[in-house]
Amino acid sequence: MRNFILPAIGLLLLFATSLSAQQRLTVSGEVRDAADGETLIGATVAITALGIGATTNEYGFYSLTLPATADSVTLEFSYVGYQTAYRTVLLQAGLVVNVELGAGVQIEEVVVKANSFREKMRSTEMSVEEISVRQAKLLPVLLGESDIIKAIQLKPGIPSGSEGTTGLFVRGGGADQNLILLDEAVVYNASHLFGFFSTFNTDAVKDLKLYKGGFPAQYGGRLSSVIDVKLKEGNAKKFAATGGIGLIASRLTLEGPIQKDKSSFMVSGRRTYFDLITRGINAGNKDNPDYSPIPDYYFYDLNTKINYKLGEKDHLYVSGYFGRDKFGFDGDFFDFTFDWGNATGTARWNHVFNPRLFANTTFTYSDYQYNIRNKVTGFSFDLSSRIEDATLKSDLYYAVNPKHTLRFGAAVTSHNFRVGRLQAGNSDGSISFSSGQNFRGVEGAVYVSDELELSERAKLNSGLRLSGFTNGDRFYGGLEPRAALRYLLSSRLTAKASYARMYQYLHLIANAGVSLPTDVWYPSTSRVPPQRSDQVALGVSYLLGEQFMINVETYYKYLQNQIEFVDGARLFANNDLEDEFALGRGDAYGFELSLEKEAGRLNGWIGYTLAWARRGDFTTLSPGRPFSQQGFFRPVYDRRHDLSVVLFFDLSRKLDLTATWVYGSGDLRWLPAGRFTFQDVPGASFQAVVPDYLDRNTYRLPSYHRLDLGLVLRFYPKRGESDLTFNIINAYDRRNTFFIYLEPEFNTVTDVSGNEFEVPKRIAAKQVSLFPILPSITYNFKF
Amino acid sequence: MRTQMFHSLKIAAFTAVIFFGLQACNLEKEIEIVLPEYEPRLSVECYLEPGNIFTLLLSKTAPYFEAFPTLDDQFLANILEDSATVVIRHNGQEYPLENRLVFNPFTGKLFNYANFIPVPEDYEHDFELSITSKDGKTITAVTRLLPKVPIDSVVVQFAPADTLARVLTYFTDDLNTRNYYRRMLHFSSLDSVPRQDFALSDRFSDNGKFVFGTSYEFAEGDTVINTLFHIDQAYYDYFDSVQNAFFSNGNPFAQPSPINSNLGGTANAIGIFTGLSYDRIFTIVER
Repeated sequence: MRNFILPAIGLLLLFATSLSAQQRLTVSGEVRDAADGETLIGATVAITALGIGATTNEYGFYSLTLPATADSVTLEFSYVGYQTAYRTVLLQAGLVVNVELGAGVQIEEVVVKANSFREKMRSTEMSVEEISVRQAKLLPVLLGESDIIKAIQLKPGIPSGSEGTTGLFVRGGGADQNLILLDEAVVYNASHLFGFFSTFNTDAVKDLKLYKGGFPAQYGGRLSSVIDVKLKEGNAKKFAATGGIGLIASRLTLEGPIQKDKSSFMVSGRRTYFDLITRGINAGNKDNPDYSPIPDYYFYDLNTKINYKLGEKDHLYVSGYFGRDKFGFDGDFFDFTFDWGNATGTARWNHVFNPRLFANTTFTYSDYQYNIRNKVTGFSFDLSSRIEDATLKSDLYYAVNPKHTLRFGAAVTSHNFRVGRLQAGNSDGSISFSSGQNFRGVEGAVYVSDELELSERAKLNSGLRLSGFTNGDRFYGGLEPRAALRYLLSSRLTAKASYARMYQYLHLIANAGVSLPTDVWYPSTSRVPPQRSDQVALGVSYLLGEQFMINVETYYKYLQNQIEFVDGARLFANNDLEDEFALGRGDAYGFELSLEKEAGRLNGWIGYTLAWARRGDFTTLSPGRPFSQQGFFRPVYDRRHDLSVVLFFDLSRKLDLTATWVYGSGDLRWLPAGRFTFQDVPGASFQAVVPDYLDRNTYRLPSYHRLDLGLVLRFYPKRGESDLTFNIINAYDRRNTFFIYLEPEFNTVTDVSGNEFEVPKRIAAKQVSLFPILPSITYNFKF
Repeated sequence: MRTQMFHSLKIAAFTAVIFFGLQACNLEKEIEIVLPEYEPRLSVECYLEPGNIFTLLLSKTAPYFEAFPTLDDQFLANILEDSATVVIRHNGQEYPLENRLVFNPFTGKLFNYANFIPVPEDYEHDFELSITSKDGKTITAVTRLLPKVPIDSVVVQFAPADTLARVLTYFTDDLNTRNYYRRMLHFSSLDSVPRQDFALSDRFSDNGKFVFGTSYEFAEGDTVINTLFHIDQAYYDYFDSVQNAFFSNGNPFAQPSPINSNLGGTANAIGIFTGLSYDRIFTIVER
């Protein structure tokens, strides 16, 4: 630690030195899309003659500081998919140059995010994956519901969970180790319908960026990834509507200016209609006494955002998300409802103190809860859990000079946990039971991050984050050093290295292999220390011609205070949940390779990952041996090989073709090694086959592969445009494993009295697939 | 625009039909699974019921996918472990269990070790089990009998304007001690598969009052048999782990569980050595 802090202090001194350097002037401003006024993130601003450049930050703001000159300079603004713009200006103190870029002629739809390869090479950022909303919409997806989380799973190092789900297991991390942010507010359960759909409506999303490592100092709180999703701001130029009608859901997004070029809004909604179908089926069987009604199920999302330009230096954004899954059954004597979902809110104020100092202050609110209500004549049973956060944070950017930027800030979050609140009893009160725990916690962090161009070839981003958490009884805290170094070996070859330590003070209580709405978050307490990770990554990027880029990365991640549950853990209505936790450690390492082509009619990428993940030293778990003595087990998502090929064919203005092919080693499963018979006590059923489970996750499922095809047929009526999106999922009808089950088979024998009974013959293993070849169609419109 | 949307809806509906039709495709197939080598071990079941004879079942586990033994002369030899030395000690008294088959025609249960002396009704002293297998491996366990907890009442309630009734079973837990229970409910006879069978701890009550309910499923004249076992924590853990292991079998929403036994010794055996005490009420459903 000491070894790291000293160079960091040295860098800050460098920063101080540079402040006293020669007379300089700064030009700053915003880069926006000319069509709808949305800020462009990562756009390049350069003065080619001076060899000086910068990129817009996540708020579309840039700042360039350069030596004072009496001559005019030409600023070049560029962004992939947009026409490059030039502005020639005479430098003066406090010069603000705001620019709007028009879409390029080759791309009909706005490309919301895509760094140029050269900018990627120059950046110190590594282990970052991005996908544009345009690409996410083109990709073929289950039942035609475009999903940006499923799209990002096609990038290297981000294996998904079960077939068709949105779970993320980034670089050997757990499903709870992803910090998912929607307009800077934490989303605690980013899935609908047990993970088959994410909470993000692609129509409302502007940008998604996923960090797998090399985490910038402004992020913290989860070990394995940061998924930063930003909502669209709303079209500042004109009123617009976007929507779609699919097999299972419909979407509608409205956006437009409130005051032209000053304020705008965006409202977006999505709802499924399974329930309309099942209600019809139930109504048709109303008079059938043998019919069991199908319960109602639907989910919906609402996104909204308003932004208001207070003046040249101030901008206010307010956004919110509300989503619910609802499951219900209403019988003659039995009512059951189960609903769950997230709510988030963000109020953000951007202020430009001066052309070199930019501030972003945000208040966010996050809420995730589930509620189960159960009524049987005279009795009731209610179960609920909730996590509720309020966060205040401020981030400041200081452009010291074109070769040196500083970012610093602080955040404080108040957490409110309600864990497993159960209320049960009868109507007269003679029978009653309640359980559950309430916790409060405060999490805080301060950070500083310094990006310095050490030479023409070397650039260093060093950072330090100090985080802490208290639940009232116990305080935990720690320093989280971060560093990322880029070294240009040539104009086409870059080497990068990074290191990041992360602390995680919240833990997900989930005992099943799939994401469940009843998974709840639990704070660090005196018996549950925070999780910690240390990750190093090394990478090389090579620019092959002007259209291809090859990235190679390798990483090692060491994980401490990992939580598993003791064998046979009882998580239901348990006020002593900590008795069910087992603490251990783990590691993950691997190699990632990608070949990307960004421009041209045929573009896409090929990604390959070779990875290992282990968990061990859980002294209260079987096998219970130390990590060093092979006492580890491999998590179910320890996927050795993972390959994805993603191709986009831009055939014409009216026609796009898309193909994705994925291949992965099978996931691991914990299968019984032996069996025994259990005849049990008098009155109980005899069980001929009870599984005897020994070591965890020793069986690897058959490998997984699938080809999906998509075709987008566009129409251009007099006003707006529309398309029909045809998808064929699992085009060659591969039967991939969703789960396996083990089923005894029996022989019927007859005893001497002529009575027939069954005796077990053998046990068969059955593989169940989720879907065969599966076509779908979605109608989308925009005007 | 509206016409286009209408056409698209028609296409969507048509595709939905295709989709649901495809769901009829066979999405299940048998696969071959090769598991790591498994060394069979011993399994013990011994329930001490005051007034009944000492009986114990000592059997062998088997690799999971191994074919089951056929019903020939070697059938029992293949699944039972014979020639072990089995002794139960209690309050200074030693009860050796003889290696012989005992079948109880009333309960349908089979044991391969027995002593025909009744189990003493003693709730104050431990019972200690000691087994030495023919190859010298040992199994040990200790348990103590628990007094039965009575069922307070069984209430039959008919649904309004209906011919079917539900059955509510009440009992009271002693709040001063941590208790565990197994509830069983049979319809018509104890030979049938129980309608309800689960274990629970007393942490699910604030005032010690418990109720078990059924759905409206019983007609006038039906016989309902309520059994409430008062069990110890070891048996609760064992039974719970057996249930978890059994029901997690391939269920993607469940977590598998190793068997939680109360046995010691060198044999690495699984199983349970416990006492049995229960209250049972037969109820004929009447208005």
